[in-house]
Amino acid sequence: MSETSERKDLIQDIRAIEASDLLASVADVKTAGYRLGQACATKTEGGVELLYSFEKDEILKNLKVSLDEKRPEIQSISGIYWPAFIYENEMHDLFGVTFKNLALDYGGHFFKTAMPTPWNPAAVSAADDGDVDDGAAAAASADDADTVGAADETSVDTDGADEKKGGEA
Amino acid sequence: MPGLKIGKMIMRSLGGKPATLMYPVIPREWTERTRGHISVDMEACILCGICGKKCPTDAITVSRDAKTWSIKRMQCIQCSCCVEVCPKTCLLNEATYTTPAAYKIVDTFEKPEEQGAAANEGSLQCDDTCVFCGICAKKCPQEAITVVRKEKKWEVDDDKCTRCGLCLEGCPKNSLKIE
Amino acid sequence: MAKRTVIPFGPQHPVLPEPIHLDLVIEDETVVEAIPSIGFIHRGLEKLVEKNEWPEMVYVIERICGICSFGHGWGYCKTIEGNLGVAVPPRAEYLRTIWHELGRIHSHLLWLGLLADAFGFESLFMHSWRLRETVLDIFEETTGGRVIFSVCKVGGIRKDVTDEKLAEIAETLNGMIPELEELTEVFLEDLSVKNRLEGVGVLSEDDARELCAVGPVARASGVGADVRLDGHGAYAELGFEPCVEEGGDSMARCRVRVREIFQSIDLIARAAARMPDGAIDVKVKGNPQGEFVGRMEQPRGEAYYYSKGNGSKFLERIRVRTPTNANIPALVKMLQGCDLADVPVLVLTIDPCISCTER
Repeated sequence: MSETSERKDLIQDIRAIEASDLLASVADVKTAGYRLGQACATKTEGGVELLYSFEKDEILKNLKVSLDEKRPEIQSISGIYWPAFIYENEMHDLFGVTFKNLALDYGGHFFKTAMPTPWNPAAVSAADDGDVDDGAAAAASADDADTVGAADETSVDTDGADEKKGGEA
Repeated sequence: MPGLKIGKMIMRSLGGKPATLMYPVIPREWTERTRGHISVDMEACILCGICGKKCPTDAITVSRDAKTWSIKRMQCIQCSCCVEVCPKTCLLNEATYTTPAAYKIVDTFEKPEEQGAAANEGSLQCDDTCVFCGICAKKCPQEAITVVRKEKKWEVDDDKCTRCGLCLEGCPKNSLKIE
Repeated sequence: MAKRTVIPFGPQHPVLPEPIHLDLVIEDETVVEAIPSIGFIHRGLEKLVEKNEWPEMVYVIERICGICSFGHGWGYCKTIEGNLGVAVPPRAEYLRTIWHELGRIHSHLLWLGLLADAFGFESLFMHSWRLRETVLDIFEETTGGRVIFSVCKVGGIRKDVTDEKLAEIAETLNGMIPELEELTEVFLEDLSVKNRLEGVGVLSEDDARELCAVGPVARASGVGADVRLDGHGAYAELGFEPCVEEGGDSMARCRVRVREIFQSIDLIARAAARMPDGAIDVKVKGNPQGEFVGRMEQPRGEAYYYSKGNGSKFLERIRVRTPTNANIPALVKMLQGCDLADVPVLVLTIDPCISCTER
């Protein structure tokens, strides 16, 4: 059996930080050359805990943030690491966590679930924002590309929509 | 020529026999370890129900009143958890698959009548070496044993007890026996 | 200005093994932007921790995906063992490594077949899958199942394999090598295949690092990241170097996977020769408490396994982050600027396993 000193996978480094420090810590991590590994959420008693994992040279660094259960809100890190949009959309759909300034926002329709936020039914984010109404229309006409574009912020989609309307006119 | 590098493989498969088996006309050869379906030896089964509790997909149902052991064939994932936990080793993972059917097969097996009385002979007893640690009560899958440490009370509900013997294995003082 | 149209790709498409939806914004046959959309087969498997106790959760986790099934089983066992602080005996580590590498061979052969199907070369697809059958037969003889094995458990493995059987396996795999070389020569040298793969979907090394690509997608762009370097399993003792290619186009990704097949055969032969004796499992006591983040190198890339326990028989959380999840942003970047006819090939070169992505 290899010695523990060679087993880099057994080294665990999980630190808790405040939600307000998240962007600063992630920017530091990016400058140090780490790569985004994953981001996930866990439902705890009365709250939601987010865990971000970063990796460099087979060593992991994990940052943990605790949020409130009813209105979990935090800044998105997709400005620093663009691929974070996938994990953040998933956390939004399953746990009801609201991310501010998300680069590619699916508005709650990334995953198709039977109820709005199955892991965290106490969350009030989706119902209040009125996204559910747009979403129902979008889900109904799933192969109509315009409605997918309606929820996004990408400029190309709006150009595409304008072009289509221009073409038809 | 730069293209058709696959020419050699094609020539070989034109000449040789097909790579597929004409199943089900020609039956399949099973290996020794193939996880096919679960079979039960009802004569040895004591209807303790531990297999039903451990099954991850709830495919096994054991009824002590009706003296039956039944399994939903299509729900079973052939993981062999039941085979490992059975205290009387009466379950076996056989090497042939369940025959496909157009409905969800449920197989029910009944315990043979003449065995019914003999299997439940004897009862669980605890002698003076007991220290009332309570391990037997925790291990009992039927929750038939009650242990109260302060009052030095140990008692068993004879109707619930299935004589599976899990408590005997767990006792640190070897105070339990079935006779 | 050229006219732009939006074409929906998927979720039903003959070339896709699993449903993924892409909205392709195209300008006269060139793709300008692609917006991915997943969520068609979300099964909510992670939520089953509330119902299944942690020793039985392994059966749920290994059924997340049929192709990378053993990797998921091992990853789950690894994270729970890390949580409990259990050290697995060496023989179990070696056997787990052998099964995992066999899984890699069968997954890459499956992928080669699907790639051939993507550009229409069906007989090549059939030959790849015919060669894969040998590996599936090995699985059935050692574990009992062709696709799902149920052989990994927390604390070790459930079935032992005799040394004679291992020698037989190494010999069978060696016997496959001439046919494999013939098959992979078609993929790497044939003119029609080269026309479809070379120069298509280039991902530069900077992009691969920026977009956090993992697995063969990253290794084909020059990023030498491989989880097997961190010394888990038997890899530290066997010695291991990742296969890295420059170029970042589809042909480079194909080349990385072909090289990995031969590397896996070599790893299995060496592990079978050095197999230590001893027990195959240890008794595990107690329940997981605390957290552990573990990683695994699946055939598609790096997978994360995070477990959190609270001392009871039910885990609080198990989280599996699969490689395709991390490669979707890279896919979006690769699709910009390619032709519409190349889209199926590009979607397949990241080896999408959408059932893993959505669990």
